[in-house]
Amino acid sequence: MPAPSHFTGCGSRRHFVRASAFGLGSTALAWLLNKEGLLAAPVRPELEPRTHDLRLRPTHHPARARAMISILMIGGPSQMDLFDPKPLLAKRAGEPFPGELKYDNAGQASAKILPGLWEFRRHGQCGMELSTLLPHLGQVADDICLIRSMHTGVNNHGQSLYALTNGRITAGAPTLGSWLSYGLGSETQDLPTYLTLTHPSGLPLLAEHNWSNGWLPSIYQGTVVRPTEPRLLNLDPPPVLRGAPQQAQLEYLRDLNQAHREVHPGELDLEARIASYELAARMQDAAREAMDIRTESPATRRMYGIDDDKTRDYGTRCLIARRLVERGVRFVQIVNNGQSWDQHSNLYTALPDLCHRSDQPVAALVRDLKGRGLLDSTVVHWSGEMGRLPVIQNDGPKEKVGRDHNTYGFSAWMAGGGIRGGMTHGATDEWGHKAIQDVVTHHDYHATLLHLFGLDHTRLVYRRAGRELSLTDGKPARVVREILA
Amino acid sequence: MSTARAVLLAGVFAAFALPSVSTAGDGASPATGGLTFERDVRPILKAHCFHCHGEGGKAKGGIDLRLRRLMLKPGDEGPALVPGKPGESRMLHLARTGEMPKEGKPLTPQQVSVLERWIQQGAPTARPEPEEVPAFVITEEERAFWAFQPIRPPAVPVVRDASRVRTPIDRFVLARLEVENLGLAPDASPAALVRRVTFDLTGLPPSPEDVEAFVARPTDDAYARLVDRLLASPAYGERWGRHWLDVAGYADSNGGVEADSERPWAWRYRDYVIRSFNADKPLDVFIAEQLAGDELAPPPSGDLPSEDLDRIVATGFLRMAPDPTGDGPADAVLARNQVVADTLQVVSSSLLGLTVQCAQCHDHRYDPIPQSDYYRLRAVFEPAFDVERWKAPAQRLVSLMPAADRKTAGDIEARAQVIDKEAQELHDRLIEQFVQKQLLLVPEAQRESVMAARKTPADKRTDAHKALLREFPTFQDHIILGEVDRDGANKVQEVRNRAAAERARKPADPMVHALVEEPGRNVATALFHRGDPQQPRDKVAPGLLAVMGLAGLPDAISSTNAALRTTGRRTELARRLVHPGNPLTARVLANRIWMHHFGVGIVATPSDFGALGERPTHPDLLDWLAHSLRSGGWKLKDFHRLLVTSTAYRQSTVHPEAQRVDPDNRLLGRARLRRLDAEGLRDAMLAISGRLNPEPFGPPGPVAVDPQGRVVAGRQKRDGNGDAVGVDGAQGAEFRRSVYLQVRRSTPLGMLEAFDAPVVNPNCEARAVTTVPTQSLAMLNDVFVVERARDLAARLHREVGDDAVARIERLWRLVYGKPPTTTERDGALAFTSRQAALISINAPNTANGPAKATGKPADVAPTPSEAALASLCHALLGSNRFLYLD
Repeated sequence: MPAPSHFTGCGSRRHFVRASAFGLGSTALAWLLNKEGLLAAPVRPELEPRTHDLRLRPTHHPARARAMISILMIGGPSQMDLFDPKPLLAKRAGEPFPGELKYDNAGQASAKILPGLWEFRRHGQCGMELSTLLPHLGQVADDICLIRSMHTGVNNHGQSLYALTNGRITAGAPTLGSWLSYGLGSETQDLPTYLTLTHPSGLPLLAEHNWSNGWLPSIYQGTVVRPTEPRLLNLDPPPVLRGAPQQAQLEYLRDLNQAHREVHPGELDLEARIASYELAARMQDAAREAMDIRTESPATRRMYGIDDDKTRDYGTRCLIARRLVERGVRFVQIVNNGQSWDQHSNLYTALPDLCHRSDQPVAALVRDLKGRGLLDSTVVHWSGEMGRLPVIQNDGPKEKVGRDHNTYGFSAWMAGGGIRGGMTHGATDEWGHKAIQDVVTHHDYHATLLHLFGLDHTRLVYRRAGRELSLTDGKPARVVREILA
Repeated sequence: MSTARAVLLAGVFAAFALPSVSTAGDGASPATGGLTFERDVRPILKAHCFHCHGEGGKAKGGIDLRLRRLMLKPGDEGPALVPGKPGESRMLHLARTGEMPKEGKPLTPQQVSVLERWIQQGAPTARPEPEEVPAFVITEEERAFWAFQPIRPPAVPVVRDASRVRTPIDRFVLARLEVENLGLAPDASPAALVRRVTFDLTGLPPSPEDVEAFVARPTDDAYARLVDRLLASPAYGERWGRHWLDVAGYADSNGGVEADSERPWAWRYRDYVIRSFNADKPLDVFIAEQLAGDELAPPPSGDLPSEDLDRIVATGFLRMAPDPTGDGPADAVLARNQVVADTLQVVSSSLLGLTVQCAQCHDHRYDPIPQSDYYRLRAVFEPAFDVERWKAPAQRLVSLMPAADRKTAGDIEARAQVIDKEAQELHDRLIEQFVQKQLLLVPEAQRESVMAARKTPADKRTDAHKALLREFPTFQDHIILGEVDRDGANKVQEVRNRAAAERARKPADPMVHALVEEPGRNVATALFHRGDPQQPRDKVAPGLLAVMGLAGLPDAISSTNAALRTTGRRTELARRLVHPGNPLTARVLANRIWMHHFGVGIVATPSDFGALGERPTHPDLLDWLAHSLRSGGWKLKDFHRLLVTSTAYRQSTVHPEAQRVDPDNRLLGRARLRRLDAEGLRDAMLAISGRLNPEPFGPPGPVAVDPQGRVVAGRQKRDGNGDAVGVDGAQGAEFRRSVYLQVRRSTPLGMLEAFDAPVVNPNCEARAVTTVPTQSLAMLNDVFVVERARDLAARLHREVGDDAVARIERLWRLVYGKPPTTTERDGALAFTSRQAALISINAPNTANGPAKATGKPADVAPTPSEAALASLCHALLGSNRFLYLD
């Protein structure tokens, strides 16, 4: 589904386009203004202040995906206990690991081989092997592509998470959702196009850096949705202004802001704030409606596990994510709290609980999107920022045992939006330690995603201070064509 | 985690890039010409390779890359380096194929190319390499880094056009602009300038009268007087204290874990900071008190003179880090270590401007800070934190009760205990009377045995005793007076109330959340292997960072000081920080103050002056400022005067020519358009609407969660089960300035959080400025904004009555500091009359009564014309002209 390509966006227009901060369908006006912009002969075009908006922009090639739901399971989900069965570990259980290992916490380290603690079963026509902790995911195995060879190579949560979200290993760069918003614009005029659904127990590791616009203009920033009702604050207009009076006040406010902006040419922030008021006004109804899952059928709610205390939170957020994508939102991020998948110890008790809370909801999301014909154009992505080592950390009673960090090989899965279902891609070594076959780095992952959205990672650039900056940062990155449908 | 945070700190700012026109280069230019090991190659190897091939003498595969001659030694798989022969040099091959480094990012193609060309050129070094291989090398190139150079007052530059010069600052700025054929922007309009400087110095809007007075006579003298008046206002300390509280990481809760328990006495430190700014306490004293106030004062007691009390309170600076050690953290050892590490991070980011915390687990990857330096700095604080005798936050509170008060309290307690005894005796007597009455109901023959059973202690009673008491249960021990003798119980309660009333007269016991070192605790510090407190290695003596010694500052700090009760290490650290030989602290502070006036620092990364930080856009100006600050006796108010009277500060925000050439405004060819920060916005709305409660100091105003889930100022209303059911007023405390509201890490005030007030963990070096629709939703619908708009409308009624034009004139002056233009006035008139009509259609039942004063409860519907005026006020409060400082 190629994105509508009626307007080329970042022109050198001097005028603010009133009433069309989001490309409100006034294609003709946009064309005219763009033409005017092209005809105007700027003295030094590369320094011309640019206008930024969320108008739809043409893609570089036909897009397969138009939306993405990224489920971040930060901490390092254990691949050999969930996704990547390694029989050799069971055979050599307790023996010293024969290779070299990099520990994050050498103080609690051991070299004793720890087999996968749960059995694996084959699922679907494709026979994908998944652990018994993920029974629901198994039911959609034929729709997902399991990647067993993810690699960031930086053995630290923060850096590895940055690698996954913004392509660098440091803070300050725009995240994937910002790049997609910038590169494609928004299909909804009523909702932010980049939203993050946070967890009731708190913000994820690195908090707002996970949805930062970095040095892209602030209209491409992710908007945080609260984990409990009310999911967004301040959606109710004051009673006395409800309806026409508020609309009149907004129009008046816009006039004030326009006049102010005219005497402050080139101030991107003023522009973004004017656009944000218009969006906020529309969000009052649209966001409430979008996040209200009461209208969903009992069957749907059951499928997502909303009736069960344990699965209610992820169920609700996954369902809201589907509703948002249905309404044209480009990028929805579902995050966990802190680094809750970081089982340095207590693997045996913590992992089943984490899986129980999320397995049914995320599988339901894939199935529901498919049932509604949305999966074709929506990428669902599930990943931690690292995996874990094949040896014991905190040697002791079974309940205490854990595994240390491993960013040299971990698993993730994707579905929909042009990803081939029912396949397993890549492999780690016989220990599940290092990705050795068809390695997918974070740059490859980003290049592939942008490709699905019709964007070329080398061409999606932002010019800043004389440099062209990109998500893949000029690093080697390849579109993983093997996993494309 | 600490490493993740370290990288984050380094990275946030590394992302800011200067426009090429303004980069103040520090020498490295690998693009052309002869390369040297020290300048071009070593920084690459240090960042990517030393960790395994050199650091701490570690040489994996037999390869040590710290010196060129070491690279020539063949490793396990051949020589790393063959000068002149890139094809035979294994290091190049491994870097190019990405086999090395095994950890972290691969080298960029540019870096690989530098390696290749250097080898091709014969791998030259800048100078002969040392004979000995020291544990940690600071190269000539690192020594030459700008931030480690001594601060020398540079000559004030000559400019082509001096007509706009008001202060030496302007010469530095102009000289740089003239290189690009630019000049300064025209002066901002007087009205814009008053608004800008008033917000900058006080965090509040100017009164319309202030604006008009200055606009009428906008001379430099009048401006200087205005600045003096603002600096003398108590609001100045509240504003600038708040800036410092960001860096100190101030919070009224302990954070760290979900419990986020309250930190009830933290506000004393907040008050100390505000008072210090208002008193224009010299910064060297301010620093010394915060780092070592306990060593500068006698042992804490309430009888100390106020300046000594201040010194104790000042050490709250070192107690601001998140601290869950009293809230059952998962791992106590780790939690304590993290508190110390966070405190060091607060100290080094605020006063050293280096990411010292990056050296907690290994040598700093980019700056010449060995891991041992981190622990030398930690050793300065070790005796005070005393991890082995750790005290959780609640246990370490220091009482500041004066001896006289303590005696009074003791006397009162003694009197109260006499009354207690009286109550007990009365109670016992009444019980006995009851028992005697009951005894009459017992058959006479058994009376004696029943009483004997009763009087026998429970554990000595025979079976016969127990049987008797079962038969006559009213003689069992637990007789509740209230249930058998209501009147008697009331009498006892009256006596007890007297005791309580007596105790209520006790003087308060004021506490301080302070750091007080115990005398005689000369606690040793060990370097923690990989930063792990479970793996202590070599002992480390206290000292400064080695780089601080480069400019001639002695970097060792004595472990003990015979003149003091305590080790004196922190006192000595404070002294060194303000020593003329220290190149860092004065620059860091001058830069930070500049940042708050100009929006961005001369160094855009205010807490990272290291290799990954930004370079100064105006290095000479920074040195001139740092020198002025120090030579002016560290007096901040004079320093503000210097800054805000410059033409650079007084420029207009609009300067198309400068904007075109320098869109990021790093050359200061115009003033930066800045959004009000969170506190500025909230406080301004309170001030303009006439609601601001200026009450200074003391315990913070409470915050609570309203039924819509918003965190607002007010007192939490709870039902019988203790569940939150709403929010009550807090006797006006909800209208206090934001700096006086509770800072709870887990429940930040909604209005402040929406506008980027930080949740500190452990501190905030520079705030983000975001623009998201949730802010717009808050400005449209948040009850705080809606109520301020209504208050403002009521104020207009109150002050100028029913004259619609006069109201609009007044409104414009209050919100924007300027009267409306005719167009604006007419637009506002038209809007309000349209709006009144729309509102009356919307709500036809609205009463048509007269306007009422403020304080009207929300459920009394306003008239359409009142509501329309409030709507006008609401629109103005949400407008960019109000939200941004021109």
